[in-house]
Amino acid sequence: MIDAAGAEFTTYYYYTILRMNLAGNEDYKEICEDARLEDRAHFELITPRIYELGGHLPADIRVFADRAGCPDAYLPGYSGVTEQGVKEVEKIQSGGAKPAEILEVLLEAERCAVRTWSEICDLTFGKDPRTYDMASRILQEEIEHEAWFIELLSWERDKVSRPSGHFRRGDPGDAPYSKNRGFYNP
Amino acid sequence: MAVADHQITLVFPDRERRTLAVTDDETILAAAYREGMDLPSTCLQGWCLSCAGRVENGGEWDQELSRRYYRQDRDAGFILLCTARAHSDLTICTHRQEAMVEHRLAQGLATPRGKW
Repeated sequence: MIDAAGAEFTTYYYYTILRMNLAGNEDYKEICEDARLEDRAHFELITPRIYELGGHLPADIRVFADRAGCPDAYLPGYSGVTEQGVKEVEKIQSGGAKPAEILEVLLEAERCAVRTWSEICDLTFGKDPRTYDMASRILQEEIEHEAWFIELLSWERDKVSRPSGHFRRGDPGDAPYSKNRGFYNP
Repeated sequence: MAVADHQITLVFPDRERRTLAVTDDETILAAAYREGMDLPSTCLQGWCLSCAGRVENGGEWDQELSRRYYRQDRDAGFILLCTARAHSDLTICTHRQEAMVEHRLAQGLATPRGKW
């Protein structure tokens, strides 16, 4: 669960960057914003449960990011903290990443999250109802995010209409399943 | 359909051995799933180690599709099936996530810790 929380936290961070690079595609930006804020809500929902179960977050954020259960959602073409990687990101940010490439990164990130929370649901079903309930709520939203990005990528890249059933959230990052008690982000 | 290039022998924890034909350009896990084999996976991007295996008796494979794979992983024989493409016949012990996490920790390398 710590690995899963790490993935939600790093995704929140990387989605901030991906969102910035969707400039000019305001509809994509707003949907990415919902996913970004809801991933933060997932981190905040599950973190107290980690402590309730006797665990804790790593004291060093680098350790936390390193053990995240899903890969870093880098800008397309960025290959990591190397001299080459820095040049790549400068090139990407000066030339602009293609929206379809960013949507592919977003979709892969959501798919990893869906599989991760499905695993946690499977592990806890019938054994730990509180953790199961939280994981299930998070899974509901991750599946919605996946569907949104399938719809956007299908149209942007393939010009194929695959409606996701998306409706605008009430507020940005509303998190209707995972933030029904907004202690942290009222 | 592409002609199979290599023969993969998967050794499951109960020592059952199953063989699989793969082409140079497909991942071993994709080929295993195509054949209906039940193997663990989560991220499918060569990161989380859920699909980790260990190669017996050496061989050639690439992990270019993996998001995180260290030279030390290869030196120790670990393979991430979701993103591994075989370039020779291979014999692979499956379900080695726990061993690979322990290997990474012993080497001081970044790793997810979860064990599914």
